[in-house]
Amino acid sequence: MGESLIIETSGLRKTFGEIEALRGLDLQVPAGSICGFLGRNGAGKTTTIKVLLGLIRATGGEARVFGLPAGEERASVEIRRRAALVSEAEDLYGAMTVEQMIRFTASFFPGWRSDLQARLLRRFDLRSGTTIKRLSQGMRTRLALLLALCRGAELLVLDEPTSGLDPAAAEEVLQALVTYIAEEPKTIFLCSHQIAEIEQIADRVAIIDHGRLVLSGSLDALQRSFRRISMVFDRDAPAVEFRGAGVARVRREGRALTVFSNDGGDAVLDQARALHPVSVEVAPVGLKEIFFETIAAED
Amino acid sequence: MLWYKSWLETRWRFLIGLGVLLCSAVATVYTYPQVLRLLPLVSPQGHGALSAEIRQSIELSRHYRGFIWLQWFRQNSIDWTTVFAILLGTSGVVSNSRQTGFTLSLPLSRTRVAGVRGAAGLGELFALVFLPSIVVPLLSPAIGQTYSMADTLIHGACLFVGATVFFSAAFLFSHVFDDVWRPLLLAFALVVAFAVLDKALHAPAIFSVMSGETFFRTGRLPWPGLLACVAASGAMGWITLRIFMHRDL
Amino acid sequence: MLFRPNASSGLPIYLQLMEQVKHAIETGALRPGEQLPGIRPLAEQLVMNPNTVAKAYRELEHEGVIELRQGSGAFVSRNAAIRRAPDSLRAAQSMVASTVQRLRGRGLGDDEIRRLVEAEIARIPEKGGRRG
Repeated sequence: MGESLIIETSGLRKTFGEIEALRGLDLQVPAGSICGFLGRNGAGKTTTIKVLLGLIRATGGEARVFGLPAGEERASVEIRRRAALVSEAEDLYGAMTVEQMIRFTASFFPGWRSDLQARLLRRFDLRSGTTIKRLSQGMRTRLALLLALCRGAELLVLDEPTSGLDPAAAEEVLQALVTYIAEEPKTIFLCSHQIAEIEQIADRVAIIDHGRLVLSGSLDALQRSFRRISMVFDRDAPAVEFRGAGVARVRREGRALTVFSNDGGDAVLDQARALHPVSVEVAPVGLKEIFFETIAAED
Repeated sequence: MLWYKSWLETRWRFLIGLGVLLCSAVATVYTYPQVLRLLPLVSPQGHGALSAEIRQSIELSRHYRGFIWLQWFRQNSIDWTTVFAILLGTSGVVSNSRQTGFTLSLPLSRTRVAGVRGAAGLGELFALVFLPSIVVPLLSPAIGQTYSMADTLIHGACLFVGATVFFSAAFLFSHVFDDVWRPLLLAFALVVAFAVLDKALHAPAIFSVMSGETFFRTGRLPWPGLLACVAASGAMGWITLRIFMHRDL
Repeated sequence: MLFRPNASSGLPIYLQLMEQVKHAIETGALRPGEQLPGIRPLAEQLVMNPNTVAKAYRELEHEGVIELRQGSGAFVSRNAAIRRAPDSLRAAQSMVASTVQRLRGRGLGDDEIRRLVEAEIARIPEKGGRRG
């Protein structure tokens, strides 16, 4: 493939006391992609991000960003020079004004994009003199985004950037991201509960559950290969074990039998027809259902 | 701009502390004429440690230098400086503020983040010690007295070195605990512990070093005490950096 | 003329975009030789991943529907392979209309009809073309 991996973890483990937050995570994010990172609360998303950015030290395994080891102090400083984090925007300095915050952040980045700064200030309608603690959450997220983008970061790591935002504000965030990635090759690692947003702009998806990666791949490929095959019988649905790879989940309810296949569904379809159901339907599956079915299969 | 940020976060505590100490210094100087007038009227009888102490204080106060040492360097200045050393050591510390995520996502080593914060705090502590103390030799002529600038600077140095111990302790506790209260409580507990030890052991301890008692009485600097303070502060500072480097945040 | 694909339908967005372009050409909204919106402006307008737009355009080029000219942009092919006479599209429309009416006459609801059609489309093994 020859694609360089911007983020790569292998067997990543992190234990907090008795809690195993990460149990051998193998994550790979290629350069130039928008990768959506999905998982339940407590599945390990924020822990992963913190390990990648050097806020937390892993207990075991390896994590690399830009090929640099995330656990080493000096490499981590270099990582943070080239990567930016936008998290739930409550950690901007409340006492500073917008302008002070910008100047403060810009002082650490010789390559600060003042042209982008001017453009985004206008577009986000941020006023220089406003104190940050007076900004609404939506405005703070926009400022956090401005700071991350003007840094010229090659990798943007976003942790729930649109949580608490109204749809218009959320859309603006997505648009700013899309514009950013369109201008130059960048990578975006987006942790979000908003599955619809991930479907909208991500080209890769990684799903984490109980500290491990349970599904990952290009979104197109997942959408092409996941199928829901629904069968109805004229008697109680047979308790048949569907054989073979590609069966994610089987659900039996009275005379209805539903199989989720992550393999295109052909093999399942053949087996299904052999059971002589009254009706067979094959339907594509949206990311939300893919997510739920994958997680449920893990429980 | 880390220095500027540190300043923004600590400026109120610093300015209030400076204000309090300056007022205290001015008040101390201006109290002297009254003390002089009252002294002949006081002659404590009685035996016991307390009476002995009072008699000692009276004796010292007959001379301006003794009075300043007693009131300013041994009391007012130490009390307030200790309090503000602790307050400065606990304010704006990254790890127990909510700003962790942003600051530590900047390309800064943890050593630099904690180091700049500590250095800025020490700088403020330095100003907090010397500026009010300099008031004494500058203002004394107004009441017809003189106080040696050299003495001021030496006492200031002793006070500063001792105060850094409390600053470093507060700084260390702030990097260990995530909340705002425990570092403060522990630091003040430390002060109380030292005060109790002081009384119990009757041995010159940290407060004696801070007041420059040895210098006042003998003209020699309390080198062992000063070195012990420097060593303690340095050790606590080093431990703070090590802890901060390895903490999960 | 090009509108936001439905991201949650389970159908890959790039395929939906390709269909939209083909449909636009069929109905005449886009004519041979005309320029398509640039990848970047289109991505910004539809708030889509530019890689996805680029993929759709590449596939369309592979199918001969459009041409990508270095430095100038994307243009509808002069001999767009999917060009059909407007007549056949109208004929197809009337076939669909009569089928839908017949199924309704049998008592099927619109939702059921829609599901049957989608299921049928999804069922047919994907012939030819690069879907990999």
